[in-house]
Amino acid sequence: MHALLILAPFLGSFILNLPFRKVNKRLSFGVCAALFLLQMAVILIPDFGLNKINPAALANIFNFDLGVDALSKVMLFCIGLVALVTLCTNSLFLKDSDDKFNFINVLLIAVSGMNGIVLAKDIFSLYVFLEITAVASFILIAFNREELGLEGAFKYILLSSIATVLMIAGIALFFLVSGSTHFAAIHSALLAQDKSLLINLAIALFVSALFIKGGLMPFHGWLPDAYSSAPAASSVFLAGIVTKAAGVYVLIRILVSIAGFSLTLKSVLLFVGAFSAIIGAIAALTQTDFKRMLSYSSISQIGYIILGVGTGTVLGLAGAALHIFNHAVFKSLLFMNSAAVEKALGTRDISKMGGLGSQMPVTGLTSVLGSLSCAGIPPLAGFWSKLIIIIALWSAGFKTYAVIAILGSVLTLAYFLSLQRSVFFGKLNAEFKNIKEAGFSLLFPMILLGVITLGVGIFLPLVLDKFILSFNAVLGG
Amino acid sequence: MTAIALLLTIIIPLFSGVGMFIFPQKMRRVKEALLILSSLAGLCLSVFLFKQDFTFNLPWIGPGLGLSFRMYNFSAFMLLSTGFFGFLIASYSVVFMQGKKFVSQFYGYFLLCLGFSNGVFLADNLLAMLFFWEGFLVLIFGMIAVGNKDAFKTATKAFIIVGITDLCLMAGIALTAHLSGTMVISSINLPLNNTLANLAFILLMVGAISKGGAMPFHSWIPDAAIDAPLPFMSLIPAALEKLLGIYFLTRIALDLFQFTAHSALSTLLMVVGALTIILAVMMALVQKDYKRLLSYHAISQVGYMILGIGTALPVGIVGGIFHMINNALYKSGLFLTAGSVEKQTGTTNLEKLGGLGRKMPVTFGCFLITAFAISGVWPFNGFFSKELVYDAAIERGWIFYLAAVLGSFFTAASFLKLGHAAFLGKLGSENTKTKEAHWSMLFPMAVIAIVCVVFGVFNQLPLNHLIQPVLAGKLAGHNFSGFPASMKLVVITCVVLFLALVNHILGVRAKGSGLHALDHIRYAPGLAKIYDLAEKRFFDPYNWGLGLVGIISRISLGIDRGINWLSDGLTVRLAYGFSSGIRKMHTGNYSVYLAWSLVGMLVIFGFLVIF
Repeated sequence: MHALLILAPFLGSFILNLPFRKVNKRLSFGVCAALFLLQMAVILIPDFGLNKINPAALANIFNFDLGVDALSKVMLFCIGLVALVTLCTNSLFLKDSDDKFNFINVLLIAVSGMNGIVLAKDIFSLYVFLEITAVASFILIAFNREELGLEGAFKYILLSSIATVLMIAGIALFFLVSGSTHFAAIHSALLAQDKSLLINLAIALFVSALFIKGGLMPFHGWLPDAYSSAPAASSVFLAGIVTKAAGVYVLIRILVSIAGFSLTLKSVLLFVGAFSAIIGAIAALTQTDFKRMLSYSSISQIGYIILGVGTGTVLGLAGAALHIFNHAVFKSLLFMNSAAVEKALGTRDISKMGGLGSQMPVTGLTSVLGSLSCAGIPPLAGFWSKLIIIIALWSAGFKTYAVIAILGSVLTLAYFLSLQRSVFFGKLNAEFKNIKEAGFSLLFPMILLGVITLGVGIFLPLVLDKFILSFNAVLGG
Repeated sequence: MTAIALLLTIIIPLFSGVGMFIFPQKMRRVKEALLILSSLAGLCLSVFLFKQDFTFNLPWIGPGLGLSFRMYNFSAFMLLSTGFFGFLIASYSVVFMQGKKFVSQFYGYFLLCLGFSNGVFLADNLLAMLFFWEGFLVLIFGMIAVGNKDAFKTATKAFIIVGITDLCLMAGIALTAHLSGTMVISSINLPLNNTLANLAFILLMVGAISKGGAMPFHSWIPDAAIDAPLPFMSLIPAALEKLLGIYFLTRIALDLFQFTAHSALSTLLMVVGALTIILAVMMALVQKDYKRLLSYHAISQVGYMILGIGTALPVGIVGGIFHMINNALYKSGLFLTAGSVEKQTGTTNLEKLGGLGRKMPVTFGCFLITAFAISGVWPFNGFFSKELVYDAAIERGWIFYLAAVLGSFFTAASFLKLGHAAFLGKLGSENTKTKEAHWSMLFPMAVIAIVCVVFGVFNQLPLNHLIQPVLAGKLAGHNFSGFPASMKLVVITCVVLFLALVNHILGVRAKGSGLHALDHIRYAPGLAKIYDLAEKRFFDPYNWGLGLVGIISRISLGIDRGINWLSDGLTVRLAYGFSSGIRKMHTGNYSVYLAWSLVGMLVIFGFLVIF
């Protein structure tokens, strides 16, 4: 039935644009929210009614192959969650109802594209969904039609198109080698003819393309500009899920289903992951723009996820998936905090802030939760995923990388503490004496995500073994 | 019934002590009544329990760690003494402390002290004893700290010195328990035949003699004499500390270890005792303050006890314990006379005192008796206990005897000086209207003075009923009561005391005043420099310790700064430098970003191909 998850948002945006736009506009928020909630429910509750619909019948309509495993489920849930909070954030920031309506339409298309990415088992369908997502993202970044946003979108388009070129070249090479675009077929073809130059080139092209999409160093050039110049809601969406789905998830899928983990490939992943984790964190240290700091932090955290993937073990993959989820939660949360602060103050310059915690208690408190979770402080959720990744690195024999990962955590804590100190603690700038806490539609998702961070952190240990075991199938398939 | 009475000796002072802190400030009369009644109850209970012999167990933490109490003749003796001094000094304090600050705190600490020392005397378990012993430490700090404005510093000094030696005691207890496999005092009897046992003995000994106030753990006492409230001096350093320290030293020597004469440890103890006698009394000689002079004697006298017990001979141990109780009597009596002088004239500075004998006849009388007693004049109690100690000392070596006798000479000399300066001579112009102290302050002094005489004239009373039972079975048929056995030593003592008198008269002739009668010793060639340095506290081990701590802390600070520079300076500067470097590389120029991506791709491709 998961095909419905691709179809539903798509149809949703289609239906919303039928006649009776006035009614549709009013309904759009509710419909959209319901859809995202439904998506989360489908993942969380196995006995959910929709799950009983025969998948084959629907999938056959489109004639492409779909597959669901633990990793896809994590992704689908994250997509639903982040899309929901993006929707809430947006409703506060866009005043014009037409803009709101348009944003929701694009959002639905992006969600549909990402659901497709997550479910596709065919390399060409995957590429198509990637492009759908990318195009939707360009629009989201440039949504306000302001100079900076357009510039960011432009940079994203340029680098993303390079990635597209690399990817399509890679797909062509795979097709050349195997005569098919299906994962399994390519995989068996690769196994048959080991280590040819062509295959290496194809893999290099694909991996590089995905590094660009995922924003890993040194392929990250577009990311800080795009994240920091995008409208608030788009930042939340982009940082929370788009780059993870379009970059990291696809990378994992390609590695697991097509390329396989060779030692060389592992070394590339580990190196790039560690490089991003450390350099991203160091770069974040001296940023003065709230959102830019968060962008570099994103690069650093994606580095962690790639470190987990690079182990090539079940534990590492589980850690990576968990970190994707945690990152979706805490990075969306932090971007929402930055949005709230920006809305209240009219600036993103950290050096002008201070003592905001007294005026914006919910924002302050949830940002502390988000920061600490990101830095991997128990008992917050981020602690467990980082711990699993570090344990996976250590037990897979990459002890140097385990140590680097721990050092990266220290750096993360360093820049988040300095961020907290200069934004929410300390003395309140007299200029900002009369600022108010953000509105309910922003506070609600903040509190929701804060509770998730804390709740997952506290209750995850109870189901951690089951969670990790479910990744056996990911690697086996 | 007896078990309950035994517990009450600890519980009553503790509860009423805590009550002092709880009751509001205004209930002064109630507090005073509570102080006197509780201490009286302690005295009555100890009389009731006297001559009882039983063990009482309270199950506590677990097997072997029960809170066990043992009542036997030594404990009974100590309990009785505590009750006696507690009651007398309590009734003295009620008048003395009137109009002073922190009175209820002082009363509270006072009662808690009584409870804790009873706990030490009764505990039959090293852990329980340690609990009460350490509790005492906190109380000493509190009692000194409520004194005058410098008191806090002195209290800290006392706390550090006593705290460190208490740590030694703690280590000693741990070692003893390890060696013997039990914490029950009455079932420990270790042979001193290996290094660990010797170490345990020394550690316990350090704890005990420092509580007694022996050198080199003494230096807080003279400071406390000036800074702490006077009843504190009279109760703690003069009486209870001697009782506690010497009680435990005796227990170590008699019960916990098989301590024998002519062993190295015995000699060590005797050396500590002899040095304490001489050095402290030399310091006492030159003091110009009534209380400070007494405090040095409080240190010096403990030397006799340690010397006596250190001989490990029955005569020495009996002499040491007898001297302990005698000293507690006359020393607290002397401090009480100092208190009434202070209360009536407002000072204890000997330069400003003089001729008080006519104005304060009862105080002067009490002073005379107690001063005779401390100088060892027949027939007062100090004479008999000192003769016993001499007897033991000369058996172990003439040098120890010499030190003890020399100590006696200086003691007598300094009390001649003190008495002359304070009570005889010309009446100071400020003190012409001085009156005798309140009767309730005179009463404790008088009782103590009378007991001094009784313990001397009828020395069979304490010796046969209180002290010799402690050594039951080890006396080998001796009885040390009555007139000293060795006439030769008595004659020497008389000659020494006579010489002290001659020395004093000559000194007064030369300098013209009692206060300066000993200046020829103070400014004697060779001694003058040493005295100068001593008055600057050059010889205070506490100051050496502080200096050492200062050096260590400076080194530690250096290391800390170094690490700090590495972690907070260098690394941070590196990280920030690196960070701004990275920031400068992000120019926003997309062709640069493009180049990075392509180079990255080529490197990955190359890597995949090569490996």
